[in-house]
Amino acid sequence: MSYLLKTNLSKIIGAAIAVLLFLSAFLSSLYFGQTAIVVDDIVQAFTSFNSSSTNHIVILEERLPRAVLGSVIGACLAIAGALMQALTGNPLASPSIFGINAGALFFVVLSITLFSFTSLVHIMWMALLGATAAGVIVFMLGSLGREGMTPIKVVLAGAAISALFSSMTQAMLVLDENGLQQVLFWLTGSISGRSLDMLYPILPFIVVAVGVSMFMGNALNVFATGEDVAKNLGQKTTLLKIAIGVIVIILAGSSVSIAGAIGFIGLVVPHITRGIFGPDHRWLIPLCAVLGASLLVSADVVARLLIMPEEIPVGIMTALIGTPFFIYIARYGLTKR
Amino acid sequence: MGRQINIRTKKNTISFQIDLKSLIITFLLMALTISALFAGPGFGDPFFSPVEIGQSVFGIGNVGNEFIINTLRFPRAAVSLLAGFCLGIAGAILQGIVRNPLASPDIIGITGGAAVAAVSYISFFQDTFGIQWLPFAAIAGALLASLLIYVISWNEGVTPIRLVLIGIGISAAMQAGTMLILTMVPDYSASQAYIWMTGSIYGASWEGLRLLLPWALLIVPLIIMYSAILNVQELGDDTSAGLGLSVQKHRLVLLLSSVVLAGAAVSIVGTIGFVGLVAPHIARLLVGRSFSYLLPSAGFIGGLIVFLADIVARTAFYPSDIPAGIFTAGVGAPFFIFLLVKHRNKF
Amino acid sequence: MMKNKWGVGSLLFVSLVLSACGSSSDETSGETDDQSGESETREVEHAMGTAEIEGEPERVVSLFQGANDAAVALDVEPVAIVESWVEQPVYKYLRDDLEDVDQVGEETQPNLEEVAKQEPDVIFANKDRHEDIYDELSQIAPTVMIDEIYGWKDTVDLMGQSLDKEEESDELLTEWDERVEDFKSQMEAEGHFPVEAAITNFRADHARIFYTGFGGGILNELGFDRPDNHKEDTWGVKLTSKESIPEMNADVIFNFNSGTEKDEIQQTYEDWTGHPLWQELDAVQNDNVHNVDEVTWNSAGGYLAANHMLDDLYEIYDLEENND
Repeated sequence: MSYLLKTNLSKIIGAAIAVLLFLSAFLSSLYFGQTAIVVDDIVQAFTSFNSSSTNHIVILEERLPRAVLGSVIGACLAIAGALMQALTGNPLASPSIFGINAGALFFVVLSITLFSFTSLVHIMWMALLGATAAGVIVFMLGSLGREGMTPIKVVLAGAAISALFSSMTQAMLVLDENGLQQVLFWLTGSISGRSLDMLYPILPFIVVAVGVSMFMGNALNVFATGEDVAKNLGQKTTLLKIAIGVIVIILAGSSVSIAGAIGFIGLVVPHITRGIFGPDHRWLIPLCAVLGASLLVSADVVARLLIMPEEIPVGIMTALIGTPFFIYIARYGLTKR
Repeated sequence: MGRQINIRTKKNTISFQIDLKSLIITFLLMALTISALFAGPGFGDPFFSPVEIGQSVFGIGNVGNEFIINTLRFPRAAVSLLAGFCLGIAGAILQGIVRNPLASPDIIGITGGAAVAAVSYISFFQDTFGIQWLPFAAIAGALLASLLIYVISWNEGVTPIRLVLIGIGISAAMQAGTMLILTMVPDYSASQAYIWMTGSIYGASWEGLRLLLPWALLIVPLIIMYSAILNVQELGDDTSAGLGLSVQKHRLVLLLSSVVLAGAAVSIVGTIGFVGLVAPHIARLLVGRSFSYLLPSAGFIGGLIVFLADIVARTAFYPSDIPAGIFTAGVGAPFFIFLLVKHRNKF
Repeated sequence: MMKNKWGVGSLLFVSLVLSACGSSSDETSGETDDQSGESETREVEHAMGTAEIEGEPERVVSLFQGANDAAVALDVEPVAIVESWVEQPVYKYLRDDLEDVDQVGEETQPNLEEVAKQEPDVIFANKDRHEDIYDELSQIAPTVMIDEIYGWKDTVDLMGQSLDKEEESDELLTEWDERVEDFKSQMEAEGHFPVEAAITNFRADHARIFYTGFGGGILNELGFDRPDNHKEDTWGVKLTSKESIPEMNADVIFNFNSGTEKDEIQQTYEDWTGHPLWQELDAVQNDNVHNVDEVTWNSAGGYLAANHMLDDLYEIYDLEENND
């Protein structure tokens, strides 16, 4: 497998550039938008906030939450994708392909329309439940049969389960036209107009999940040499697999509960990162987080600029960016392995 | 691969019995379909007996019943059976090409293409050109999407794996496109589009049947002639080529017929989900893998699924008449998972 | 064996085709319902053709909200209506008149069998909703299709023609025109014009500005202008970021909240209207934001609703209506 940066020094420089990339995406997210803002505003909004300046308020109350949510969710989804690819050895594994987004979404819609849940925490738990259900079903379906888990089987199982959950979501919304029009943006995946309040209740889970995944690099590297080899080396592979599963569910499920279905970040980012930094998970996981955050935040900036004053839901943007990439991997990436 | 051939040889030694069983089941399914056609219009308020329905269809019944039977319920029964029939066969063909029981027109992007085209038409063109062109927009969308999938998958031939993976990718893009349109249009267009995307037999007419029937009459015999090849196709590239078949050409013909059947069905009733996935699966459990039996059985089962879904849809919440697609998804899917898990060794 | 089976299959298809052709040809007869004998036949031209209506139709079926409203306005009690979008099954303002009327399902997919059972003399439907069932409806009874979902004047007009109540419908529309003239001249006299008005609407996860549609169309007729950025010929926009609040700027804002998720909508409404950018809007600064009823201003889409809207406006601008 070829990748760009081979020495540690070049990787450190590469990582620094990635962080710079993220910072510039974050700053653009603060800078670009419908309200014209000058750079001074951004600085002052943080240093000498003036509550009568609408520019300051727009920066702190609209754009900052958006940039933060975009960063967190982008990082979560990218890490989830990287972990899933490591777990399954499947280059196409990612939350949306696995049906996890669709599953979480269906449970959320169910909880709102059928059980009239309004508490954010309850809805979040439903999202996690849905993510788990979909993930487990797809994992089981994908590993059925004698050849075990082949990429095509997993992808088909994921597509089937996605289709299942999304058609059930659709069915509930057809029965409740009003409900459909209420949650349109959230369904398509959007971080616009979300408040940071939605993040706080699940932030502890996310922090723990991200934190643990950062220290899993070595274990993942061992695991990647093959499960049998890993077992011989004394690795508790079952434990590792369960840990990965739980982390993936938390990361993907909480992303959906905040922002709806945002696909393809988890697929695209690990591949780009691997292409640059190589397959060493000690580098891969943290850099996936950085680049995933950068990609989602940038996609969100573009989404808000294209058809002002309206916005394209960022979930649609990522799907449109991600599809060619997916097709590329499907065409060329699979045959190499 | 070798194993499968063994099974087949093994089957051949007892082939006579198995084929007889499959044959009987296929005939039973056909009988069930015909009786559904003549019993289905009876359900509802008022209830009609099959005799009354028959009288009505041939114009010798009670004039008062004739409108409800001939114009409303009978076309609905016929369209649901025929659309399901097309979808079931389309799914069976695709699963044959791809050699995976999870493939179906709604998963690999064919109906996704139809959906983008139909939703665009509903949102932007229907006001000007009228609703009668909606089926053509949908089928054009299905064909274009399939062409795109085929072209992108082409790399000195098309392998089933590439076809499916790229189909799923295209499907995701189509979905994004559909949602983008839905977020921008006024509510009444969005709700019409949503109903279309769920799939509904509501308002089915003889006109719908007339549009659908030629495709079925054209394609189904063609596919039956291909049945023998399909059996070989299932063995995969290596073996098929060994048998001297021009694999790519046959694959294209099969794919095209699957696309046309699915596209035609979807253009009349909307993107009803899961029929193309579940029907062939049930059929396979009943009549085995031989395509001579599998194709018609999958068709009949598909028809019966859509038919039942529509009966429930128009009677369960009476007088509300809700889209049938709600029930094919809700009932079809759990059943499908159950089947997969129970028969995992048949993969 | 194979051949036989497919022989049967194709026989089935052929019989289907035959029965299809057979039944469609004799359906057009059987519909003549000559109780009124020689009475005149009126031809009503509508969005999808011409309906031939005999005498004074008594059994009227209405398949959209605007026609429910127009029927009440014309003092006609329909034999069947469709369910309302909110305040199910019937909008409150129509409840006194329509509460006991039979329901034939939802506006999107009304139950055709129930419609047929009512043995209507005439059906009022809407092209935006019922284009694909026009043929079936026409076989049940002469069907009058109204062109647009908010074409409420057309609805009154066509309903008048169809029900032999042209005098009444003309009178209703004239009354409306007089009210409009009165309102306009009073607004002019009070110096309220020219004024730019916007219609806003809050949902659980986004906000909207309605440019055209029912409320927007009536405001224009009444002499209100639309702000320059609302002049695009589309229904309106959906906004998700509070940064877009300045888009809502106008001299006066009419707002309604819609939906069943009351808590979330209230939350969105409070979030947006509590925002400093909202406070900067001209309408807010001049205390010209008026919360109005969703049914009246948007979803009902009928003659009576239009008049209630005008009532609201008289009240909002504190004008005394001249009833001469």
